[in-house]
Amino acid sequence: MEQREQQEQQARQQKVRSGNLRTGLILASIAVVFFVGIFVKRMWFS
Amino acid sequence: MSSTTVDHAHDHSHGHGHDDHHGAPHGWRRWLFATNHKDIGTLYLWFSFTMFLMGGVLALMIRTELFQPGLQFFNPEFFNQLTTMHGLMMVFGAIMPAFVGFANWMIPLQIGASDMAFARMNNFSFWLLPPAAILLAGSFFVPGGAPAAGWTIYAPLSTQMGMGMDMGIFALHIMGASSIMGSINIITTILNMRAPGMTLMKMPMFCWTWLITAYLLIAVMPVLAGAITMTLTDRHFGTTFFNAAGGGDPVMFQHIFWFFGHPEVYIMILPAFGIVSHVVPTFARKPLFGYASMVYATSSIAILSFIVWAHHMFTTGMPVTAQLFFMYATMLIAVPTGVKVFNWIATMWRGSMTFETPMLFAVGFIFVFTMGGFTGLILAVTPIDIQMQDTYYVVAHFHYVLVAGSLFAMFSGFYYWAPKWTGHMYNETSGKIHFWASIITFNITFFPMHFLGLAGMPRRIADYPAQFTDFNQIATIGAFGFGLSQVYFLFFVIIPTIRGGKQAEAKPWDGAEGLEWTVPSPAPFHTFEEPPEVK
Repeated sequence: MEQREQQEQQARQQKVRSGNLRTGLILASIAVVFFVGIFVKRMWFS
Repeated sequence: MSSTTVDHAHDHSHGHGHDDHHGAPHGWRRWLFATNHKDIGTLYLWFSFTMFLMGGVLALMIRTELFQPGLQFFNPEFFNQLTTMHGLMMVFGAIMPAFVGFANWMIPLQIGASDMAFARMNNFSFWLLPPAAILLAGSFFVPGGAPAAGWTIYAPLSTQMGMGMDMGIFALHIMGASSIMGSINIITTILNMRAPGMTLMKMPMFCWTWLITAYLLIAVMPVLAGAITMTLTDRHFGTTFFNAAGGGDPVMFQHIFWFFGHPEVYIMILPAFGIVSHVVPTFARKPLFGYASMVYATSSIAILSFIVWAHHMFTTGMPVTAQLFFMYATMLIAVPTGVKVFNWIATMWRGSMTFETPMLFAVGFIFVFTMGGFTGLILAVTPIDIQMQDTYYVVAHFHYVLVAGSLFAMFSGFYYWAPKWTGHMYNETSGKIHFWASIITFNITFFPMHFLGLAGMPRRIADYPAQFTDFNQIATIGAFGFGLSQVYFLFFVIIPTIRGGKQAEAKPWDGAEGLEWTVPSPAPFHTFEEPPEVK
């Protein structure tokens, strides 16, 4: 019983971790787009 | 609806011995390898307080020179370094990291999370800061001295200075990277790790304001990084982004900088709004008035902050239509800000108010920040701004917003949450002395600057005509009083509270609401390993 609870908890934690990684990567890509975007704007669109 | 109740049947994470069963690491390893959000929060707070004192010393050097007309102690070049480094240290070293410290400590506790989403990245975010601070402060000791182009590091000044400017730019890069990582961590933690039942509209206001602030940071810090990278390539790799001789445009630097810089102002004030939105209801013993409108007002301020940047640049010359657009857009920000001030006052209306130190600082914040807001509104009017640009009126305005705004809110937050952090109650008399000394000396320092600015005294100049002497002397005396008040805060409030004092209860404030008050004081090393259920 306790082992099953532990397994469920681990699965839950794993799900949260992968969700966190996905959110983190999306946010990091937004930051990269803004950083690169300012160069693109300045070099080719001004 | 901001208040939350906890289903204790599901909350196994507090009040039990097993909270500490992993134990806290000891010695220097605890801090160097810290992944615990509370430890990292503590590191951020100490770092920012150190930078606050360093920036404060620079401010006192500025005020010492300005005590009398003429050049007494420093030459104009060094004076420019002082103003620049004071601004950079306070903005990037003190205020921003301090709020990240508050976020690290309080967000997981307020949403019922066991820690931040990316604990190791959290460690990295913090430990990037000391090298950046050393680079920044070390620039005083290299040939040519520290950056002296103002905290805005406008081109072409910034493309011409010595290696101190390179050190400053690298420091900003590192601090920016730290901020972006911190923001990613905060957003991910808030979006993915809230306790079951804690919907977004049940979330504490401090978390809401930080969520919005973190989005702002992710959007604008890379823009600053881009601008200073271009400055760096202009300096060393022959590009001419901001060099008119090569087809570049120095005014473009100002546009890019202020596209970062204006949201930055809100980055430094929105978390302050969050803190005050906790303190006022607690000591008025009423729920926050207009919780939903507070959330929408915060979001509106954040969105509007992206379309007002050129109000910092009215004197660079721009079409009248642009002047009108930026003037009206800036004035529009007064609406959601007014909603917030109204809500705080409405929360206090007919409340059972008591004035412990956190509440004193919160009420002081509302009073003095509103004055700073009004002078901001005056500066938004283009023809007035063209007259007031780069005068002491602007210096008075932004110190009313950033010192009486951000700093007083942080003091309020410190007194409010210190019992949870340290396990001890601070000494109320010492807290009140700190408050009254701070608010009186703050106004002695900065209120006369309005008159100096209106009379035409320019900022960032080491000398001034004799007619400005009286107000400058008052300001300098006030500044030393304010500095002493903060030394008093360190030695008579912070250190005694950490070392001992009356044991704090889990919920030391009877009107307080929220999950952070359900864990013992001091908060155990591990909290909410099993998420509580919020009803």
